[in-house]
Amino acid sequence: MSTANELVKDIHGLVTLPNVYIQIGRLIDDPKSSSADIAKAVGQDPSFTIRLLQVANSALYRFPSEVDAVPKAVSIIGTAQIRNLALSMSVASSFEGLLNELVSMENFWKHSLLCALSARHLAKLVGRCDPDAMFTAGVLHDIGELIIFNRLPEQAQQALLIALDSDEEIPVYQAEQQVMGFHHADVGGALAREWHLPALLEECIAYHHNVAGSQRHRRETALVHLANIFALMAEVDTLDPLDVPSIDPLAWELTGLEDDCVEPCVREVQTEIVAIERLFTGQK
Amino acid sequence: MTPGSDGRHPPLPPALPSFEHVRRTWNESLGVYSARILPGEYYVTKSEEAVATTLGSCIAACIRDSVSGVGGMNHFMLPATDGNTSESWKAAGLGASTRYGNFAMEHLINSILRTGGRRENLEAKIFGGGRIIAKMTDVGARNIQFVRDYLRAERVRVVAEDVGDIHPRMVVYFPATGDAKVKRLRSLHNNLIAIKESSYINKVIDKPVSGDIELF
Repeated sequence: MSTANELVKDIHGLVTLPNVYIQIGRLIDDPKSSSADIAKAVGQDPSFTIRLLQVANSALYRFPSEVDAVPKAVSIIGTAQIRNLALSMSVASSFEGLLNELVSMENFWKHSLLCALSARHLAKLVGRCDPDAMFTAGVLHDIGELIIFNRLPEQAQQALLIALDSDEEIPVYQAEQQVMGFHHADVGGALAREWHLPALLEECIAYHHNVAGSQRHRRETALVHLANIFALMAEVDTLDPLDVPSIDPLAWELTGLEDDCVEPCVREVQTEIVAIERLFTGQK
Repeated sequence: MTPGSDGRHPPLPPALPSFEHVRRTWNESLGVYSARILPGEYYVTKSEEAVATTLGSCIAACIRDSVSGVGGMNHFMLPATDGNTSESWKAAGLGASTRYGNFAMEHLINSILRTGGRRENLEAKIFGGGRIIAKMTDVGARNIQFVRDYLRAERVRVVAEDVGDIHPRMVVYFPATGDAKVKRLRSLHNNLIAIKESSYINKVIDKPVSGDIELF
């Protein structure tokens, strides 16, 4: 039986960390580099450049004047945030080759993006969390699912059947645990380690179904746990907690949020997704 | 675990003859036994129990006698009409694709009537017909049209429906009260549900029509 780590080793070469993310990261870590250097690195990826400017001008940022050039985008969005966007906006094309029969890429990234928007929204409510970093965590939270669906299609199908047969009383991640001995959050966490992603992203990905497991970034992990469930509510257009998996009370406790935040968040992300979906999922 | 054997749940109500094979489990959150039907199956009961199924572009018609509470649910779809009809069907002159739908509806209604339901008391709720695979033709819409037409022709009142849209659904129906609970499912389940539904419809199409083979 494979482990989460072995699965991640398996896809080595098939899926790589987006180059533009690596380049920006190097420049940020280099004390001699300037924001002009970062703008130049961004400019070398035309697809990212175009979509970055579109996002900068979307309702997501609400800048008072038009962001018409990369240097301006870098200076008003911020270098760290540009790096997060580089990852968020390129990961879908990184995973393009990892096809599977179980979920369409369109539906997969739509859920991820709804989670990203929810996480960003909640980060602003909670404070002390970087909304752009939380957005990226949301985009990446289920990434392990694509690896499982591609590498272990039969077990993945068996797990989905268990979830369906139980009327979803057994959540998908628990069904995966039953069938494979690990679940998609374990695999996503392993990939985050393999890619040397920041610890914040790694913990949010690895523990979004098990908030108690996170150690250094508990509040952020709790936010992604909530955001995942709000994303499901937005997708099936419900505000009834019985229609979606239950929320871990620890997530409420760690974030200080209360359930009156559910409706405004769900409604806002349902609106926001329409404008930005295409920019992130690589669909024309 | 044998249902009811641990004393935590009431005993499993007896199934009507010809429905003994349908899997029934205790539903913890609803506090009832629930018979789970698959594409092509149906289930009728006069007990206080639920019937449940998961629908993509298939239809579930839930029909009951609103006075006696006898009722049940079917789960079916019409095959595509693009000329894929198998040779055996063509040979038998049964090319009309609505045949499958007619069988499903007739079996359900006849079984309710045989169990004591009265035709004039029948009421229906219809669910499903979702367009869960965006790139395919909208087979759900045809299924919805069929079941509406069928019920109108049979003069069965449709008291509620939740059909169309893009989501799969989980439906739980309580014939005794006529209540139905619908839960829309996330898109992660779409493809698997579509795979199960198309393997059902392909199996049905490939079956010979002679003899008294159960057609769905």
